[in-house]
Amino acid sequence: MSYEPKIVGFLCNWCSYTGADLAGTSRVHYAPNIRIIRVMCSARIDPTFVLKALREGADGVLICGCHPGDCHYSEGNYKMMRRYPLLKKMLTDFGIEPARVRLEWVSASEGQRFAEVVNDMTQRVRELGPSPIQQTLAQDMAER
Amino acid sequence: MEEQRIGVYVCQCGTNIAKVVNCEEVVRALSEQPGVVVAKTYKYMCSNPGQEMIIADIQEHGLDRIVVAACSPRMHEPTFRKAIQTAGLNPYFVEMANIREQCSWVHDDPQVATDKARALTFGALHRVAKHEPLERMSVEMCPDVLVIGGGVCGMTAALELADGGNHVYLVEREGTLGGNVARVDLTAPYLDSARDLITALVTRVEEHKRIDVLVHSQVSSLEGFVGNFTATVETIWGDGASVSQFRVGNVVVATGYKEFDASRVVHYGYGKLPNVITSFEFEKMLRAGRIQTKEGKIPQYVAIIHCVGSRSKEFHTYCSRVCCMTALKYAHEVKSAIPNCYVSDVYIDMHAFGKGHEDFYKRGSEAKTLFLMYAKNDHPVIRKAGPGDDCEMLIEVNEKLSGEQIEIPADLVILMVGMEAREDSDAVARLVNISRDKDGWFIESHPKLDPVATTTDGIYIAGVCAAPKDIPDTVAQARAAAGRILAKTIRGSIEIDAVFAEIDEDKCSGCRVCNALCPYSAITYDASKKKSTVISAVCKACGACVAACPSGAIKARHFTDSQIFAQIEGVLT
Repeated sequence: MSYEPKIVGFLCNWCSYTGADLAGTSRVHYAPNIRIIRVMCSARIDPTFVLKALREGADGVLICGCHPGDCHYSEGNYKMMRRYPLLKKMLTDFGIEPARVRLEWVSASEGQRFAEVVNDMTQRVRELGPSPIQQTLAQDMAER
Repeated sequence: MEEQRIGVYVCQCGTNIAKVVNCEEVVRALSEQPGVVVAKTYKYMCSNPGQEMIIADIQEHGLDRIVVAACSPRMHEPTFRKAIQTAGLNPYFVEMANIREQCSWVHDDPQVATDKARALTFGALHRVAKHEPLERMSVEMCPDVLVIGGGVCGMTAALELADGGNHVYLVEREGTLGGNVARVDLTAPYLDSARDLITALVTRVEEHKRIDVLVHSQVSSLEGFVGNFTATVETIWGDGASVSQFRVGNVVVATGYKEFDASRVVHYGYGKLPNVITSFEFEKMLRAGRIQTKEGKIPQYVAIIHCVGSRSKEFHTYCSRVCCMTALKYAHEVKSAIPNCYVSDVYIDMHAFGKGHEDFYKRGSEAKTLFLMYAKNDHPVIRKAGPGDDCEMLIEVNEKLSGEQIEIPADLVILMVGMEAREDSDAVARLVNISRDKDGWFIESHPKLDPVATTTDGIYIAGVCAAPKDIPDTVAQARAAAGRILAKTIRGSIEIDAVFAEIDEDKCSGCRVCNALCPYSAITYDASKKKSTVISAVCKACGACVAACPSGAIKARHFTDSQIFAQIEGVLT
């Protein structure tokens, strides 16, 4: 069987999670690789959530928040936006391809866009192949 | 730790979930998990029998946590919280897995969908194990209401609320009340006078002792939360301005719409051909009692063109709902005023969906109006007539039913301009913290089950600001919003969600990173103790401070690190 990546999605409650629900109510089909976790705001997404997901076996992590200017908490998405480059840098330092983590803005009315983002993300992570973390973890286990 | 006793309930949602997800298989996988005492599937978990089953199981098996794998928590989380509370559990001991919107409705391979449903349910199972009991807070509900917009919608809502005993602040940007309906002559399909309708409303509103009308005014800020908002309103008086502030418990947004700018459709020549006018300009003629061309002549040929800006891929894809009947009303009014006038009605589809509309259409079609159908996105073209023609303009229509290209004469062309979201709808949405759809209309809490509430507690939307609608639908929504508010304010207090951030004083280093991060200034700093504290009633639970705290001292209640970590582990099992 061909490799199917596992993707964890952290979605803000107000825009992106609602956008994903809209994809559902509109029956817009998308790749089934994503497992969605709801948070109130993208600003709640602690970098450790992303690292935890990668460690637990995710091959990619998608973070979705409201479009700039549209945040339910007025500016939470800007906080995520500023954390994101630091997170990417940290991933590089850890030897993880930064493209495994992605930040996208999806509004409550963008069900179609959510589906497109998930499909695109899934395809890209599929091309990257399995996350190197699992291999490292397996080696560590073997050496112990 | 004491062993938990968890119940897992997998909903089939009729066939919505079960037709793709093998619910029995999900139940089987979950029932083998540690801590799971009961795992069941049922046709409709949200139905009374479904809820009663969960309640009975809690009592019979001593369950202390519940997982419901069903629809979006945005839909039924309150339902299941209430159900388990009835059974004596803390309402926060339930977690939902969204296996409908995120699974059965978006995937079609049964095996893949079942695997995903299982993973999502595992996520909920791991998360619920970490849930903590939370107590909701009861806060005072201020009975006063802010209504934004003084059209038919805002006035109707204001009257309903004021008649119910609540004080209302009605804020209108223009100098007079009435909104767009005040620009209309007769209403379709019963040909009642819009002027009478508006006059009756305005008189009652202005005389009502519990309504404060603020014209020439705009809401400049809205702070606080449901039951306890503070509104700031700026009023322009001649060359001066004043600012007033008042406390309100709820807000009705009734900001209406603006008409589509007809000059954007270049092939209609609006703004260039003097006798191409908009429906609102024609209303003005009707109100003045004289239908005439710019040159002051009585028109011999009048043409009405539907869907100007509406139902077009270039402008707005939606139907503006009121124009078809208004067009028929114009045909009727032209015929009554100028009996020998030739009226043509150029339309895409005749939308006659409302009460009395089909009869009105039937009468219109019997009155010798020439109906010509054009195809969507194949617009008629208007040009100036030549010196030999007995009319001002000629309209070329690719008539859809006959398949022929037809040219019709016109001295006066009425463009049925559609409705569009006001240019300030974005600013209004931010002011009251609600969302807009792709067309700029405000988004309701649920399009079918909760059409006047929004995702922000205490903010209601009514009338056209939520999407085009006619007067009866607008009035119904205005009264619905007022009814919702009256039902909530009658109790005097409101329970608010127990989800907010809290700071562990022992861990707080007093660095104050969180203080500036909070968009609501909900975090205060005690200089003597060198500790920060969250004012729970002001906190809106975004969690920005939680993720930023370098000491890990802040906890997002119900969205704790350990709960989210557990969910991550679960979905990746």
